[in-house]
Amino acid sequence: MHHSKAHIWFVWPAIILMIVILILPIFLAGGISFTNYNLGNSSFEWVGTENYEKMFSRKTYIKMIISTATYVLIVVPVSVVLGLVAAIMLNSLRFGADIYKTIFFLPVMATLLAMAIAWEFTLHPTLGIINSFLANGCGGIREFILGFHWLPWVSSEDSWYSVACANNMDFPYWLKDKKTAIWTICFIGVWQAFGFNMVLYLAGLTSIPRELYHAAEMDGAQSTWEQFKLVTWPMLGPTTLFVVTITTIRSFQVFDTIEILTKGGPAKTTYVMMYAIFEKAIQQNITSIGAAITVVFIIFIILLTFFQRYVIEKRVHY
Amino acid sequence: MGTISLKNINKSFGSTEVLKQLSLDIQDGEFLTLVGPSGCGKSTLLKIIAGLEQQNSGDVIIDDKNVNSTRASKRDLAMVFQSYALYPHLTVRKNLETPLKLRDYSFVERLPLVGNFVPSRKEKKKSIDDLVFKTSETLKITELLDRKPGQLSGGQRQRAALGRAMVREPVAFLMDEPLSNLDAALRVHMRSELSELHNSLKTTFIYVTHDQAEALTMSTRMAVMIDGELLQLDTPSEVYNNPSSLRVAEFVGSPKINTFAAQISSDGSVEFMGIKLERKFNTNSQKALVAVRPEHLEITKDSNKPAFEATVSYRENLGSDIFYHVQVDQSDSKIIVRGSPARLISNGETVRISPSHAEAMLFETSGERIR
Repeated sequence: MHHSKAHIWFVWPAIILMIVILILPIFLAGGISFTNYNLGNSSFEWVGTENYEKMFSRKTYIKMIISTATYVLIVVPVSVVLGLVAAIMLNSLRFGADIYKTIFFLPVMATLLAMAIAWEFTLHPTLGIINSFLANGCGGIREFILGFHWLPWVSSEDSWYSVACANNMDFPYWLKDKKTAIWTICFIGVWQAFGFNMVLYLAGLTSIPRELYHAAEMDGAQSTWEQFKLVTWPMLGPTTLFVVTITTIRSFQVFDTIEILTKGGPAKTTYVMMYAIFEKAIQQNITSIGAAITVVFIIFIILLTFFQRYVIEKRVHY
Repeated sequence: MGTISLKNINKSFGSTEVLKQLSLDIQDGEFLTLVGPSGCGKSTLLKIIAGLEQQNSGDVIIDDKNVNSTRASKRDLAMVFQSYALYPHLTVRKNLETPLKLRDYSFVERLPLVGNFVPSRKEKKKSIDDLVFKTSETLKITELLDRKPGQLSGGQRQRAALGRAMVREPVAFLMDEPLSNLDAALRVHMRSELSELHNSLKTTFIYVTHDQAEALTMSTRMAVMIDGELLQLDTPSEVYNNPSSLRVAEFVGSPKINTFAAQISSDGSVEFMGIKLERKFNTNSQKALVAVRPEHLEITKDSNKPAFEATVSYRENLGSDIFYHVQVDQSDSKIIVRGSPARLISNGETVRISPSHAEAMLFETSGERIR
């Protein structure tokens, strides 16, 4: 039987493009990470695993891993849960859902760069509206609510709000304080990501057949919680898998807010991986270290993908 | 017990009235079919009985208890849906367990992980397992218990959905066109299985269908609904042979009943197509409609029988029967006649058609029956 070779002609342009654009750069980065090559140098030397040893011994890179992990571990669960809650609430609205959808989706549509500048003004320690709002509220209802005075175990003298009011309006410096910077960045990350998750969940919710809820009701699932457990959550499995994956990858890639708001500081508390790659490889022109971080970054993403593929996907019903 | 009564049910969606002052009494252990063309409100009525839809006015009474304000989950009814609505992420076993768990387990016992440590759960689990096994034996789905709905064929899914409805031994079963997603052969087979199931369970079945064949074959009584009104509630044979109105006569029976314009003389004798009916009717109207089912029209060669002439325009061969669509020569109306397969008549042939007098029914031009 004669086998036509025509299929090869159809396939090779795509394969070559894929190798040149996708596979080769990764291997190139892998290769460079074992050298001391800097962009513009005419020669390089093989240095073995020196770059990696630096990465796992120097404090800067440990901090890089910690801040990246903090960001991912906060932003992913919070934005996914908020997205789901917002979607379920909007789905039950009869009127005004479109307005809320637009408002929540705005941060997704807007350029993060511009939004970050807006946040910079908002969070400015002395001029920003957040701190002036807090300062004006000293002794009032704002202090009662935000200082958690309504909780029985918080005394009205020792709450963070009262202390700040007493100490000449010493409110948090948000992005300038190493205690609060990463949490503030996380907050902006959640604010930015959850609208997108909400839209994905809304799409997922509309595809659940109404008859399943009727069946659940007939079977005796009375409370909203039972119906959520029996129908909504399992039926949203594929959506959740997608939402978690995409949010995780995006969180690993956080860069714009860091570049504009903190530049990795203060004290490297917001020194996330993407920013580290940018700083080392582009700003300081140490290509080899940049490549090493990139390789670690890629390994993280690949591990994540495998986890998703083999662990979570088995538990998701399609 | 499983008696259900509906009293003056009204339901409208916006300005569209779906159900108009509908009353219905369903006896214990009855297989009642709600049948009607699509859009007649029968599914809405079923949902109102189930509690999934709220009526605008009127009462739903189950076992002498008014359940107007009782939630669907508290009415102790089970429903089989057209799409089966099995939980796709759960195995058949878990699907069957769900209604039992929701009924028997406490909130804590239902919690994942934590629930396993509640001692009382073990005993309940045992009885649930027994019930699930018993039900699966009845429906012959034991070997399918560990499969998910996606891995089942249409008929198997149908059984699983029945199983989920049966395990709880509810007051009544509500079925919303459960056979319409099956292929023709399986549908006929499931009809007999459902009837057998009804005979063995002796529970009230309320069955919604647009397929009159299902209604005629399975039900103890059938309720014919058209445009939100209950037109006739009677046994299938009574509905077929003795319809209360022309709309019922036209809906029930396939092919459709034939109608002819008729004149009534002052002594009550009726004449149509030049044929005089032997029976006399008591009515003041002068014009009426005579309705004759296709099987009560005979193609005859006997010139002594009163008959009219018509031309065959289309032959429908069903194997056991042959239906001829014929064009009546004197008028432009088309009628359908059943012929025997023994003698085939080709298109274009002229035939003499003779009605069987005892079976002709007389209706007012407005549709009411004249007896």
